[in-house]
Amino acid sequence: MKCRKCKAPAEISLPSHNTACCRACFAEYFTGQVDKAIRHHGLINPGERVLVALSGGKDSLSLMLELSRQGYDVTGLHVDLGIPVSSAAARAKVENFCTARGLKLRVVELIAEGLPIPDVKQYIHRPICSACGKIKRHWFNRVALEDGFQVLATGHNLDDEVARLFANTLRWDAGYLSDQGPCLAAESGFARKIKPLYRLTEFETACYAFLNGIEIHTAPCPYSSGATFTGHKKLWSDLEYTSPGTKIAFYDGFLKRGRPAFAQVDRDQGRAVAPCTTCASPTSTGVCGVCRLKIAVTERRAADPDRQTDPDRQ
Amino acid sequence: MSTMPTNTVPTITVFIEPDNETLRFERVKTVLLLQSRLGLRVNDALVIRGDMLLTPDCRLADGDEIRIRKVISTG
Repeated sequence: MKCRKCKAPAEISLPSHNTACCRACFAEYFTGQVDKAIRHHGLINPGERVLVALSGGKDSLSLMLELSRQGYDVTGLHVDLGIPVSSAAARAKVENFCTARGLKLRVVELIAEGLPIPDVKQYIHRPICSACGKIKRHWFNRVALEDGFQVLATGHNLDDEVARLFANTLRWDAGYLSDQGPCLAAESGFARKIKPLYRLTEFETACYAFLNGIEIHTAPCPYSSGATFTGHKKLWSDLEYTSPGTKIAFYDGFLKRGRPAFAQVDRDQGRAVAPCTTCASPTSTGVCGVCRLKIAVTERRAADPDRQTDPDRQ
Repeated sequence: MSTMPTNTVPTITVFIEPDNETLRFERVKTVLLLQSRLGLRVNDALVIRGDMLLTPDCRLADGDEIRIRKVISTG
């Protein structure tokens, strides 16, 4: 197989685009897709400071590297979840990545914040992935606003976005469908949120990470077994296999024709947002969801006889 | 004095990430066939030999050491 552009031996086959690339042309393609997303949706304006959420996986680290190469002022933010073994490994990958490339990094430790994910899993009776996601989004936004970043970038790729859109559509969740997209404007205490990798698949970000020598954290989260999104991604992998190009067509079609309709519904029915009375993060419920989680975890931990007799677990 | 003919079967070694599993396959001549044996679609995983990515049409040789890196993130 040869590179469609330069005819050198290809390393990457892209059936969705009916093409193949050598590594040099793939780098150009990847940069072009990110640049196109940024320009087409006005994701980053000149001079803006960008906070990049870094999990240690291929997507976030690839995003950080690509934005820095394109000349943006980027700082990484890693939320250390406090999960034994897993979190230390992910954090090490992020720290090593940033150190090796001279990139700025901030770390938030949930143990220090009194809300480690193992405690949330133990004391809160709701799906752990949902609670964990809420806590991470809370800290991403909070650090962005407190440290003066105009933009918060995440490494969501096309597969993530399609799986999320599919899940929201299955529930006809008008609230989420009203604002899903590569750019969520800053408003009411929320920083602007952007997804510059939304045009690229997981396979493509994995290729980019490999070709650029990025050491990634590959072990799955020990708590995420059977996550709904993983099942949806497999479903969409089947669809893409039989009809290449279906994912981007579904997502682009939603952005052009679906989202505007749901945005109108949300404007008519949306709830007012005000600062959380505890942490000042935006919320529609007085005390924000993360502060309520923290209160519940703190109370139940204090009442847990096992935690009172074992100081090592405090 | 005659020597017995040695019949060696072409074999490749495959290391699968993130499962950390090592498998051996005989008579797998192309990447596409390897992916098929593993139940993987073309873009479900990176197929790596040394520091190179392999496309589905690449031929595999006896003694090749291949890394399969699955790409679907699970959370």
